[in-house]
Amino acid sequence: MLRLLALLALLAFGFAQEITVLTHSSFSLDKGLIARFERETGLRLRFLKGGDAGETLNRAILTKGAPIADVIYGFDNTFLSRALEADILLPYRSPEVRNLKATLLLDPTFRALPVDYGWVSLNYDRAYFKERPLPKVPQDLARPEYARLLVVQNPATSSPGLAFLMATVARFGEDGYLDFWAKLRDGGVRVAKGWSEAYYTHFTLYKGDRPLVVSYTTSPAAEVYYSEGKYQEPPTGNLFPELAFFQVEFVGILKGTKNLEGARKVVDWLLSKPVQENIPTEMWMYPARRDAGLPEVFRFAPEPLGSVRMDPKAMAQHRERWIEEWTKVVLQGQSPEAVRKGRR
Amino acid sequence: MARLAGLLVLLFLGLALFYPLGRILALGVGEGFARALANPYYWGRYLWSLEYGLLSALLTLSLALPLAFLFRRRFPLREAFLALSTLPFVLPTPVVALGFLALLGPRGFLGVDLYGTKALLLLAAVFYNLGLALRILLPVAVHLAEPMRAARVLGATPFRALLRVGLPLLLPALGSAGLLVFLYTFSAFGVPLLLGGPRYATLEVEVYTLLAYRLAFPEASALMLLEILTLGLAVLLYLRLRPYPLPPGGLGPGLSWAGTVGLAAFFLLFFAPLGALLLQAHPGALASAWASEDFTPLSLALGNSLRFTLLALLLAFPLGVAYAVAARGSRLMDLLGLFPLMVSPVAVGLGYLLAYPSLRGSLGLLLGAYALLAYPLLARALLPALKSLPPSLLWAARVLGATPLRAFLRVELPLVLPALTSGLALALAAILGEFGASLVLWRPEWTTLTLAIYERLGRPGEAPFREALALAFLLALLSALLFYLLDRGRGRWG
Repeated sequence: MLRLLALLALLAFGFAQEITVLTHSSFSLDKGLIARFERETGLRLRFLKGGDAGETLNRAILTKGAPIADVIYGFDNTFLSRALEADILLPYRSPEVRNLKATLLLDPTFRALPVDYGWVSLNYDRAYFKERPLPKVPQDLARPEYARLLVVQNPATSSPGLAFLMATVARFGEDGYLDFWAKLRDGGVRVAKGWSEAYYTHFTLYKGDRPLVVSYTTSPAAEVYYSEGKYQEPPTGNLFPELAFFQVEFVGILKGTKNLEGARKVVDWLLSKPVQENIPTEMWMYPARRDAGLPEVFRFAPEPLGSVRMDPKAMAQHRERWIEEWTKVVLQGQSPEAVRKGRR
Repeated sequence: MARLAGLLVLLFLGLALFYPLGRILALGVGEGFARALANPYYWGRYLWSLEYGLLSALLTLSLALPLAFLFRRRFPLREAFLALSTLPFVLPTPVVALGFLALLGPRGFLGVDLYGTKALLLLAAVFYNLGLALRILLPVAVHLAEPMRAARVLGATPFRALLRVGLPLLLPALGSAGLLVFLYTFSAFGVPLLLGGPRYATLEVEVYTLLAYRLAFPEASALMLLEILTLGLAVLLYLRLRPYPLPPGGLGPGLSWAGTVGLAAFFLLFFAPLGALLLQAHPGALASAWASEDFTPLSLALGNSLRFTLLALLLAFPLGVAYAVAARGSRLMDLLGLFPLMVSPVAVGLGYLLAYPSLRGSLGLLLGAYALLAYPLLARALLPALKSLPPSLLWAARVLGATPLRAFLRVELPLVLPALTSGLALALAAILGEFGASLVLWRPEWTTLTLAIYERLGRPGEAPFREALALAFLLALLSALLFYLLDRGRGRWG
């Protein structure tokens, strides 16, 4: 009987020591790093992939009060305001904060801490454009001969899609962005549900029929890295830095966690140097730490000059309206004038 | 006793349906509601859902009617074909969607990519509902021979006999089959979500997108209300249809050899999506899914699916029986109890999150949703059998001294047992393949087979796709097997 009780206690103890991290589906880290963290802390890590970054955050919001995880990682600056307003995060000023790039600390309440950053950007297939001219200015994309070559993600269901939409708002303005999208629509732009569908199904590099895709500035480097020697140079390239959108990904501790200490350890660990230096080749984002070195292959991923940085307040205020207007114009085929008239 | 049963059902409906839905509606009524309905985009979604439901019903009927006339004749393996035709109806939606992707998707078997087209969605709807329509039309078709012959004897031309005698007799069955197909297709979720792309999202998919990605409650609840009203209208029409009493009839003369072969060829074609699923499934994928580290391991998902199905059936069974008993004597109860078939599972799941925040972590929430969506199916199968029992049997038992409960348990129940097991089979299949509510209420430790498939489908690469195919095949096998064990092809439902 006593042995049974001891066993039960051990089981209960074992469960209490498990830490669940809710992440977006692109999450990935070196298994050895994870194992080492588990050995050193006695915690067991469980990663839970909740879908797209926005979808993952909404899961956390919908389960507020009985959180499905202890820590959430991967919501970005386009959704930062929603995470803060929903009040699902606990403030934690990690000792690692002083090592982070100051420009990334977008939440002064320290409920959301930056883990990495990068740029959503247009990629093109080099082989396809070897003999054909590339578009010269962003406006060229709206011309039928280029619009038919482009695949984008639905901003309502995909965070790179949303980032690209916001880049067009920043580039063409509140009045012009809908005209730009209406021309893309008429020219035959394709809309995919999420990044992986756009990249792995419709992009010509993966046997699709679209040589232009909304992806990340680091994607060309990733192609070289994963090619196992097949490529010495990236098979893809970046287009139009002025349409590249600056993205920061955050981590936060979910309110209602049963293991606050453990959750804090996980946050510290994500911001520690070994993990930060692992992030570039696992998730193809730049480390948020100032002192983290970049892998060699990142020479193919230069930071885009003149990229779009949008004020988080503006994003919070207009995000829903932009998505709605985009949907009306691109998916429903309404005219930009009618949509603008509908604004109050 | 009927009153007690009615009370039980009403109590459950209040807690599990009306209160949560009320919470959503309360959020949506007001400005957001007006804004959503002023948006032509949402009306576009609505019109497409209507179009999808109507087109599917027409297509299904135009295929099911000639089939019904073929099936009223004798031919080898007739019963087996009949049982097979109903199989898709109990297949979980991700299975059917994956089958069609395996056949006609971007990486499809035939090399024709119909992903994101109307044609693919309509094909899937016909695949799903053909068996259902056939089951409803067949009994009428079988009994049509005698009255038609009478008309011919009285001097009518074959055309006139069909127009004036055959068609009017068929009409109620055509109507109810068409309405049921409309009901299921109009509110479809899994198939349009997985096969439609953004262009062909139905209202139900739009509700899910609005909630899961944008947390836009007002718009979502407006669309939900629109859906309930439309489905309610369809259900009212369905309940109004009264079949004509038909004379006794029997199976017609045997089908020719060529006819039988043709029919076999048709069914081979019909089941091509499942065949493609089988051909693309690798046993290795099943093994790699068993202890997967990237996704929910198959072992956990399978255990969850079986466990939840069993528990939810334990809940749905008494509810279904109570509802059937209560609805036998009351039209109002009949209508009220049908309500769960009209509301979207997505909305139900969401309503639970809103209405019972303190229960968010408890399994009771999920089981409640499953039971709610399953019990009407069980009761629909039971109700006709209960209604057709001669009341004199019950009176005899009562006169001989049995209490009402005892009379029910010892006299009525054994007599309706075959219908009950058929209903149970249907409820079981529905729970095993449930998608919408599970997706909304999802918690990692609750991942079922259906969700494990969806989880893998959302990831890039060949390996997850293969695992999804393998899981879909397993789920199809499981549903079909359990359904067959309980129903044995009797199919006393519909």
